[in-house]
Amino acid sequence: MAKKKKVKKIYKNGFNLLEAYPIEFSKKVETVKYDGPAETFDFPFPERKVEHVIVNLCPTEPWALSNSAVINNDTQDFPDFLDKLDKVRTGHFPESHCYVVISAQETELIKELNQYQSNTDKIPLDPPFAKGEYLHVHTLDPIYPNDAPALIVKKTLGLDVAYGQNTAEIGVVILEPQTVVGIFEHYIQKSEISTRLIPISGTGLRENKILKVKPGTPIQRILDGNVREDVKCRVFVDGPLNGAEVKDLTQKIDWSTRNIVVLEEKDYKIPFNYARVDELLFTTSLMGELRRCIYCNYCDDICPVGLEPALYWYCYIRGEKQKARLYALEKCIECGLCSFICPSKLELLQVIKECKSLK
Amino acid sequence: MKNIVKKIEPILNKTLNKAESFIQSRPGVNFLFGALFEAFDGLIRSSKDTAKTQPFIRNQMDAKQYMGGVIVALLLGWVVPAIYFFGFMCVVPKIIVSLVVGVFIVDVLWVILAREERINEGGFVTCLFIPAFLPPQAPLWLIGVGAGVSILFRNILGGVGNNLVNPALFGRLILTICFPTMVVSGWQEPFTGMPTFQSLKSGIDAVTHATPLIAFKETGEVTSYISLLIGANAGSLGETCRIALIATGIWLCIKRIANWRIPVAYLGSVFIFAALFSLILGEAVAPPMFQLLSGGLIFGAFFMATDPITTTYSQSGKWIFSIGCGLLTVVLRNFTPMPEGVMYAILLMNLVGVPIQSIVLKIKYRT
Repeated sequence: MAKKKKVKKIYKNGFNLLEAYPIEFSKKVETVKYDGPAETFDFPFPERKVEHVIVNLCPTEPWALSNSAVINNDTQDFPDFLDKLDKVRTGHFPESHCYVVISAQETELIKELNQYQSNTDKIPLDPPFAKGEYLHVHTLDPIYPNDAPALIVKKTLGLDVAYGQNTAEIGVVILEPQTVVGIFEHYIQKSEISTRLIPISGTGLRENKILKVKPGTPIQRILDGNVREDVKCRVFVDGPLNGAEVKDLTQKIDWSTRNIVVLEEKDYKIPFNYARVDELLFTTSLMGELRRCIYCNYCDDICPVGLEPALYWYCYIRGEKQKARLYALEKCIECGLCSFICPSKLELLQVIKECKSLK
Repeated sequence: MKNIVKKIEPILNKTLNKAESFIQSRPGVNFLFGALFEAFDGLIRSSKDTAKTQPFIRNQMDAKQYMGGVIVALLLGWVVPAIYFFGFMCVVPKIIVSLVVGVFIVDVLWVILAREERINEGGFVTCLFIPAFLPPQAPLWLIGVGAGVSILFRNILGGVGNNLVNPALFGRLILTICFPTMVVSGWQEPFTGMPTFQSLKSGIDAVTHATPLIAFKETGEVTSYISLLIGANAGSLGETCRIALIATGIWLCIKRIANWRIPVAYLGSVFIFAALFSLILGEAVAPPMFQLLSGGLIFGAFFMATDPITTTYSQSGKWIFSIGCGLLTVVLRNFTPMPEGVMYAILLMNLVGVPIQSIVLKIKYRT
């Protein structure tokens, strides 16, 4: 029974990446030394009045930075983080409601948060009010891509945001925990903030680490001494599912870089690959041959917004790219799960992007 | 077992790499056998392609594993029980003939002549189906003709992902048209009891006996459900042991290789329509439980109707497709002179699946 539940949890409306690719980071945070010019912290405050602030404490990708790493490094404990959040809110987003979205599995943080929320400390405003009135706790299953902007806004506030639309247009700001600390230190304490935590992970590395990096450091410098030399590797910024490949390793990281993943390329043939069931190999291999769509329904089962990606592929190969727009194409959030799961290894995300770009 | 595989792997890899470079370095050899080697290499080894665009990691499941699951389910679901009931010498030569004619003659000729890579796991599945829905006493040449026609038809349509109707059922249809008496005679009483070496080797002496559906049509006799479930009745090679077919079919559904909606809706609608008709018309219609457990229905519902490409893509279309199959099966079985209707029902609904798909899309997206 328990196993059955797990399968459903993994494949329906999203994918439980945390369970599929468990990644262990070493506990120690290392600092990368770099003497070159660093980028200064800058947060683009929206011009429109902010009504809702969403703090995303629910990483759904295993290669993302865990909450505990931020809290242990930048703050003393969780209530301290929430205090900073409170100051950021009153200082820069006055009269807004604050939604802390937290992974349903982190029960301890939820407990602390609830305690903090019911704290009787009255905020010295006129009239004074309890923290519970503006601070809302929202739990979310840590299933990819639940933390994509469009889905997180939909699930916490019930508001519709199109993919690619700036959430500030409807008065919503989504903050990462590191950004909260950054705003606090840079704009409120006026102290110099120069480093950012970047997790590096993947099968191309000797060890998965969390590094303290100055934005402005080239990626080459960060990966120095960490990459395995016996295999061919490819480097990705912001995760291999949604992020971009880095061809030029002198590219510099900035304040929006979330993580770096280095994967083994694996561009050789393996005998009896199909006998290895239930094995998710963390490489860039396609793991199969390109075939035609066989109507297996994997893509519409896994689609987090309930689309049928195979339809777009059929329109595409028939040459009717315009027709793809009829099937609710604009709802797609480009999470890439359809391409990920496809047993025929079709480039569904690429097809969707191409159909979308037609105006 | 794992250690042996680990030891063989590098040797195999090396040999295949050598063969590959040998073939590719000689244009003449490459022209004749290049496509053939690539096809067989594809059966053994994975491809070396890497993801070029987002997302850069891909799931392990591929078409080979998908079809491999079906093959495993077929082996456990009908080959193993059939060896127990009808003997090794009755079952295995048929499978060998089917595979040799289908994959190793028709497919290989197609690859050499048409230069299209068509040898893949789908052909094995089709060839495993052919002996399953023919009688135990069917001659080997009949199996060969069936497999050849099926694979030829499949290749003409375009192979995996292009099939309009289930190729194995199409082969059976051709056999029914060309040899009408051979595919509906030669039923044999299966062996029951403790297996002995003799029985496992060649079964018992052939005693022809009508299948439960034919018996019902002629005399109105209803066979006991337990014996139908276990498979101690005359019938086609693969369809008798329903309990094994149900178990492997459910395994396929859990593995998400077969879509659970199809067997559920198909079997459910057969039960409901049979109950409805027998309430209205009384004794003339077979009782619903008997209809569920007799003939090739279980085999058809779990293995033939769930062939993904021949159904509709939309999930709601799948419900309509399988309810249509159920209705047609009951109608064909009870209101026509034919004792069995699963094949015609599935073939017809395969064709009707195309308009169902477009109508479902029109309603869903209001286009």
